[in-house]
Amino acid sequence: MSKLTVVNFPEGNVPESQRLGGEEQNVPVLLSRLDESIGWFEKGLSGALGWARKNSIFQYPFVTACCGMEYMSAMAGRYDIARFGAEFPRFSPRQADLLMIVGTINVKQSPVLRRVYDQMCEPKWVMAFGVCASSGGFYDNYATVQGADRVIPVDVYVPGCPPRPEQVLDGLKILQDKIQSQRHRLATTEKARDVK
Amino acid sequence: MSQAVVDAVREKFPDAVTGAGSHKGDEWVVVRRERLVEVIAFLRNGEPDMKLLRQIAGVDLLTYQSEMTGGGALASIEVPEYAMQKKPQVEPRYYVSYNLYSITTKKAVRVRVELRSDDVKVPTITSLYKTADWWERYVYDMFGVEFEGHPNLRRIMLYPEFVGHPLRKDYPVRKRQPLVPELDFPDLVRGPGPGPGGAGVPMSQTHVGRKNVDPNTYD
Repeated sequence: MSKLTVVNFPEGNVPESQRLGGEEQNVPVLLSRLDESIGWFEKGLSGALGWARKNSIFQYPFVTACCGMEYMSAMAGRYDIARFGAEFPRFSPRQADLLMIVGTINVKQSPVLRRVYDQMCEPKWVMAFGVCASSGGFYDNYATVQGADRVIPVDVYVPGCPPRPEQVLDGLKILQDKIQSQRHRLATTEKARDVK
Repeated sequence: MSQAVVDAVREKFPDAVTGAGSHKGDEWVVVRRERLVEVIAFLRNGEPDMKLLRQIAGVDLLTYQSEMTGGGALASIEVPEYAMQKKPQVEPRYYVSYNLYSITTKKAVRVRVELRSDDVKVPTITSLYKTADWWERYVYDMFGVEFEGHPNLRRIMLYPEFVGHPLRKDYPVRKRQPLVPELDFPDLVRGPGPGPGGAGVPMSQTHVGRKNVDPNTYD
């Protein structure tokens, strides 16, 4: 299998002006050996948390269109997305880590999608499943949102109309790499990601 | 195939029928708006026995000529020709077409009403068909045809905040009316956000390959 490049946005796709903390948050400052040792500890903890999180992705399938068939195929026994740790589809966004936008998002639906995203607990990731969720697809018309990333930040885009299950698994592995490379902290120090 | 039905309508309402036609076995009859309810009541309750209203369709003829001559302006990503010309006036501009079917005699006929653009109103037939309720709401939603006497004439598919009627041919093809504020997301193909309609950025300026489009004549 070819090696895939992972592009990282540190705070998701949230625009610069809307990130919490602004720029000073990203400047590394080492004041003492104590800070350095804490940083070393945080790095190890981040790796461990990332490993745990990437291998237990609970998905919430937001199925709106025909891509749902391919999602069912990817989820069921033949392709078995559970092999990659994404075992359970949770039909409550409050229990899910990964929001899979499976299908076309039209304008009337976009507040619903936004609310579902807001209801998910941190940490959370989003996969745009299929071209309609990624860019609007061929629905270049009055009714369709031109990509779910216009409404909520998206981590992984899986193209295809609909994508084959292999592509979905590929996207899931890309997401796993991304999760592993992100910085994880314990929940008590986690800042809520704010996209308002 | 249903020529007998058309003939029966012509015979019974000689002053209401203004035209009729047939294409590959599909018959239609053009009816004056004032007599529409009478004619449809005859088709439903009279001898034709057309108890099934299959569809009410709207038609906008604004670009009919330019599409015929220009060869599919709507499918092109270029600016349609009609957007450059300042709205050619076609009168009557709108059709409302009632697609009726008889389950007993297996005949179908379309009843058409032609409407001028300054008076886009039709009497409702919800008293005859329950189905007409939602079909008339659909035609109102997409074409802005007002059905007089309809009990609940609201949008049926689009959201109440939507302005305009999208299947009218003078509705800009890529005009967007988002319900939630759209994120500013940089994208190589779609160009910088926010999405079209979000901050007044016309879609023609955000798409690569559509930069030669003059936004003033379009969105």
